[in-house]
Amino acid sequence: MRAIWDNLKGLYSLLVGMKITILFLFSPRKTVHYPRKVVERENLENYRGPLELTRGKEDAGKTPCVSCQLCVKACPGNCLTVVKSKEGKNPQTWLYDFSYCCLCGACVETCPTGALAFSHRVYMVTKTREELVLDLLKDLKERTEKKEEPNKGLKNKS
Amino acid sequence: MPSFNFVNPVDFLNMADSPGTYAGDFYTLNFEKNATPGNVILNLGPQHPSTHGVLRVLVELYGEYVLRSEPVLGYLHRMQEKMGEVKTPYQFLPNMGRVDYLNPISWNWAFAGAVERLAGLEPPERAEYLRVISSELNRISSHLLWWGAFVMDLGGVTPILYAFEEREKINDILQIVTGSRLTYNYFRFGGVGADADSRFFQLVEEFIPYMRERLKMYTGLVTDNVIFRRRLEGIGPMDEDLCRRYGATGPILRAAGVMCDARRLSPYGIYDRFDYDIPVGPSNDCFGRYLVRLEEIRESLRILEQAVKSVPEGPVIVAKAPKPTYKLPAGETYFAVEGARGQVACHIISDGGKTPYRVKLRAPGFSNLSLFAEAAKGVILADAIAILGSLDLVIPEVDR
Repeated sequence: MRAIWDNLKGLYSLLVGMKITILFLFSPRKTVHYPRKVVERENLENYRGPLELTRGKEDAGKTPCVSCQLCVKACPGNCLTVVKSKEGKNPQTWLYDFSYCCLCGACVETCPTGALAFSHRVYMVTKTREELVLDLLKDLKERTEKKEEPNKGLKNKS
Repeated sequence: MPSFNFVNPVDFLNMADSPGTYAGDFYTLNFEKNATPGNVILNLGPQHPSTHGVLRVLVELYGEYVLRSEPVLGYLHRMQEKMGEVKTPYQFLPNMGRVDYLNPISWNWAFAGAVERLAGLEPPERAEYLRVISSELNRISSHLLWWGAFVMDLGGVTPILYAFEEREKINDILQIVTGSRLTYNYFRFGGVGADADSRFFQLVEEFIPYMRERLKMYTGLVTDNVIFRRRLEGIGPMDEDLCRRYGATGPILRAAGVMCDARRLSPYGIYDRFDYDIPVGPSNDCFGRYLVRLEEIRESLRILEQAVKSVPEGPVIVAKAPKPTYKLPAGETYFAVEGARGQVACHIISDGGKTPYRVKLRAPGFSNLSLFAEAAKGVILADAIAILGSLDLVIPEVDR
């Protein structure tokens, strides 16, 4: 008698679970088919994508970077290469190896001039490892030509 | 009984002379030495889906019964402790998000707290509140993923998809302050990395009642399910004595009836200001551990509810926060926090140099895993999987 009652109770519990499953079957879908669609209105305000150089205040195409090498020393992964140009303080080459980067933010937080910021590039894909070494000066030039909105960087830099 | 080609116990040094002659590596050969001839020795993992990563478990099977078992570790060893000795504390901090990728905020807190205790830093009030909020959110998301993965181990594949819906919400909330969705690097020495805006608090407030509704749905979907209960009730009892012998902490120890929680026993941060209970389990079997974790989600929501209401204004980091080249003062300290899996702790010895002399990371998963061999003696293989799942292992944390 007891066993029959237990089994009936068990059967009822299965029905309750099945009811939840069926209710969810008719609820709207919560995912998107990624390669064809992306999530709309996604909040990427503070998202940390690959690094990028911010624009200067006077000259939008020029970086505020003064090649002080503080970011290079702060980086735990040794992924930054900054070479000072001969004529002034501004950098000649600014290479950033994204394959070594752990997006910790040490470089962004140490930069005294605020020349670095995280981009919001979520869907970055490359085929080779060499493509992950990003030339940030070239990237800055391209963005200036396209007249993209400047990146604000970390909201409250300490 | 099926014929089984039994490999004679050999000295593993001989193996190098004639590679390919013997089946199995050093661990297998060592394990086979004590095997009864005729029993099957099975390699569970390192690529088995139910081992949650690259854990390898050797089991000796008699029919379907597990006679002995031995976990083999080290497939995901990344020298985290050694890395702590060659990097400055500031540079080592992002590693903390990688030790346990499901519960990184607790590890953040363990390391940042240890450094702060050594350096004598006091985080501002607002930072303390943000630490509690992010830590409890992370605890919920870790338990949610465990919940889905555990039910998946037992054969129910869909619940993990329900759990991911909430987990995505938590990821969205934490992304606002941390900037990432998985390996958070949020804490800094003397505060937190970024301030939260009103949207953050609004989303947390919306999340609390939503999560409570979902927990009711979980009860109907999984907890009351008769198949689920019969798979778990009475399986893998781990009593207080066993837990104490192996140093198990967290929900496993609490399910065994011991009120052991670092938030209550040695309050760190501002945990002594909130009103919450430490759930102590009704039974020490797999089902008891399951119930304790679900109860912990409810208690975390209670903490969140109180914390969100009373966040003060102010800075989130101390005025003279340590720079990347910050040198720790000489000394030794130990700081323990309550992670999702148990007591997460960090032991730092510094000689005043550029890098710490020694960094010891206490991973709860490592101690919890050692209970498996004892608990899985004489159970059916399917029950051994249930025991393994109920331990809530994260292999990167076990191997470090």
